[in-house]
Amino acid sequence: MERLYYTPREVAAALAISDDAVLDLINRGDLPALRVSARVIRIPIAAFDLWRSGVTPRRRRVATRPASGTVTIGAGESLPEGARALLR
Amino acid sequence: MITASTDDLLAYLADVIEVVERFGATVLPPNEGEEVQWAREGDDLVMDIGTRLPTPRGSQDVDLVLQERWSPRAPGQWIRVEYGYDLRDHELGYRRAFHRHDADHFVRAWDVATHEHCEATLGYPVCGHYAGEPAADAIDGFLRLYGIWLANTKPDCSKFHRLG
Repeated sequence: MERLYYTPREVAAALAISDDAVLDLINRGDLPALRVSARVIRIPIAAFDLWRSGVTPRRRRVATRPASGTVTIGAGESLPEGARALLR
Repeated sequence: MITASTDDLLAYLADVIEVVERFGATVLPPNEGEEVQWAREGDDLVMDIGTRLPTPRGSQDVDLVLQERWSPRAPGQWIRVEYGYDLRDHELGYRRAFHRHDADHFVRAWDVATHEHCEATLGYPVCGHYAGEPAADAIDGFLRLYGIWLANTKPDCSKFHRLG
């Protein structure tokens, strides 16, 4: 199965910098990474490639508009049986 | 529950999109352009952002949807009343989700306002609802689900606490 992430050590090797320097990049919020546990950090390959290429997402304008339909969160989901009984 | 001003919500949605894209995911129409929008539904503001995760070439799609409903609390002040952060991995064929909706029903039945979904085989839930950690916001929901996808393995739903 294809792996989708690098370890900090692998990124350090790819950038020819130290492990600590990679952790600094992550802790500064510069390099996108996911902290799986206190000791395990994963750097998504897609995010790393994007970061390394120097591409930064453009900041979007945000507006409000009238809804074109209704969003139902949890659509099609059954409600708890216990709650149904209480509602009777 | 979290609260925010209207300006906070506008900046928050821009933050969410920025994180999604920094992690290599694609924002799907109609929010892929220069402007992203909160939908006004009655008195509420609703986020409905579809994203596609950066799968390897030749893989099937992995979709991660971020939905929130905010209701007015006071003039210019909002409270998040519902959320649904939903991951569907069509390559491995599973689903994971973090939800808060119909909170009164869930609190009456199980004394929890939030729940999770886990389908080791997409579309075939063994249990309708699982207990779980509340998601702080859409960025937290996105990153937690992205981390699940990143492991590139089907979830073991049996390890979660079943609600029913």
